[in-house]
Amino acid sequence: MESTIQSAKKRDNTVNNAFASHFAKSMFLTVVGLAILVFIGTRMFTHIDLNLYGYMVGTITFLGGFFYRFISWGERPPTKIIIKKGLKLLFRKSTAKTAVSHLAIYDFIKKRGFYRWMQHILIGWGCVLACLVTFPLVFSWMYFNMDGNGYYTVVLMGVDLVRIKADGIIAWFSYNALNISAIMVITGVCMALYRRMKNMQARAEQKFMYDFLPLYMLLFISVTGLLLTVQNVFLHGWMQPQMSLIHQFSVIVTLIYLPFGKLAHIPFRPMSVLARNYREHYGEQHMKECKVCGDKFVSVEQSNDVIQVLGTNNMEFNMEDGFNLAELCLPCRRKYRIARFSGFATHQVKVKEANQNARG
Amino acid sequence: MVKKRLYLELENCIGCRSCLAACTQCGGHEQRNRNYVYDVNPLKNRQTMPLMCLHCVNPACARSCPAQAIQIHETGAVLSALVEKCIGCQNCTIACPYGIPKFDTEQNLMYKCDLCIDRTKDGIPPMCASVCPSNTLQWLTDEEIEAKQKQFNLDNGKWVTSMPYLEGETNVRVNLPGILQGVTKLF
Ligand code: SF4
Ligand code: SF4
Repeated sequence: MESTIQSAKKRDNTVNNAFASHFAKSMFLTVVGLAILVFIGTRMFTHIDLNLYGYMVGTITFLGGFFYRFISWGERPPTKIIIKKGLKLLFRKSTAKTAVSHLAIYDFIKKRGFYRWMQHILIGWGCVLACLVTFPLVFSWMYFNMDGNGYYTVVLMGVDLVRIKADGIIAWFSYNALNISAIMVITGVCMALYRRMKNMQARAEQKFMYDFLPLYMLLFISVTGLLLTVQNVFLHGWMQPQMSLIHQFSVIVTLIYLPFGKLAHIPFRPMSVLARNYREHYGEQHMKECKVCGDKFVSVEQSNDVIQVLGTNNMEFNMEDGFNLAELCLPCRRKYRIARFSGFATHQVKVKEANQNARG
Repeated sequence: MVKKRLYLELENCIGCRSCLAACTQCGGHEQRNRNYVYDVNPLKNRQTMPLMCLHCVNPACARSCPAQAIQIHETGAVLSALVEKCIGCQNCTIACPYGIPKFDTEQNLMYKCDLCIDRTKDGIPPMCASVCPSNTLQWLTDEEIEAKQKQFNLDNGKWVTSMPYLEGETNVRVNLPGILQGVTKLF
């Protein structure tokens, strides 16, 4: 007994050690990477916009939370397998296509419902657009230089990129990108809130902290952001510094919250591409044949991985009939269960499983 | 609120498949049933038995999920995949010893029995037990299940409520009193 406790402790320790060093390493590398990028982008720190300092602190705190969550999550045996094998397969031909479908146009959400898909497009792309504008400005990877004769020079990573007319169309889009993204996010969030209030099912399931809080935070960010523009255009900048602080505060709070609540699915979602690659690659290599009916139902690799993961949880479904339950296709596994209940070998009867779908 | 469990007396099943139809109507099930009804010996007789998630105490599906998409409710119910977390790897379908989780390839999403959590968390029986006309599926307190045990007092000591006849401890209780008593009600 004593020895098991001790060995458990030991294992705990090594996990913790690995965890601490992983965390420190990722954090260190990222912050150094950011610093180098800022150094290059700002032409050796000559162009830092210190108004945006709060965002910088927010970003670093976010990274801390993110790595903390991601690494403790990645330590779980099934997650580890998918990450490790998925990353090795990252350069498959289909990766680009899967990534676009899963991460950019959200095909699978469209199949779950058009309304929810619309919400996702508006909120998702609104946020992406906003981040693409905000963070390069925060870290001074991009800034505008006024030439004095009606032209701006866009400087990207310290390199003069283009000269644009200060009242031209590109400039208009640049000034208004954040307004456009705010309107997208507000529309999407309102759609989501409407669904949550109208749809009885959504109402039964929702929790304030998990489902509403992130929506309100996004709304808060977008509205304060839009107000900044309103103050600028209509109120001659009245109370703008205060509002700017409030806006910064809302962004920072959201960044800190992001790795923990519902929004955590955003940084974790790319895993679905890894999972798809894993299934496709090993599926092409060698499929497992069901020990009862011979149907090919999953890759040998995945079947073995699952058996191994269950093993680490002290679950072994080895049957007296000489197979592991993970080696039976799903219909045969269900019939085998019926057989174990009734004592009659249902799974051996060569009849296809009856329709199990109530809708026909 | 008294804790109640799903209790199955498998051999009572008459194969009406009401439980499948009822399952589609539960809130959040989006018109798809998550349970099964099998013919025990389809070429010989008409005995059927339902099969559903047994809500394992240590659920293989949740342990094998890389995304922590399968949550265990405080009532012990093992929930369906969280839509925003499931990454579509299908580990859970391979891990479950009874082949319960279903997978929608188009939606890239696993779905399974959640014991009608928005009903059962308030003590309302799940859809399947609400409609079962043959008392195969019942929603009982532990005392009531114990009373059943007395009622089917088997002299051969064979009273099954799950263990050791399953792969692990489950929250759902399963029983086959007739078969174990040797009453030739079926087959
Ligand atoms: S019966 Fe299968 S699906 Fe249900 S909890 Fe157990 S492992 Fe999960
Ligand atoms: S299919 Fe979804 S719920 Fe099932 S193991 Fe994979 S991520 Fe988890």
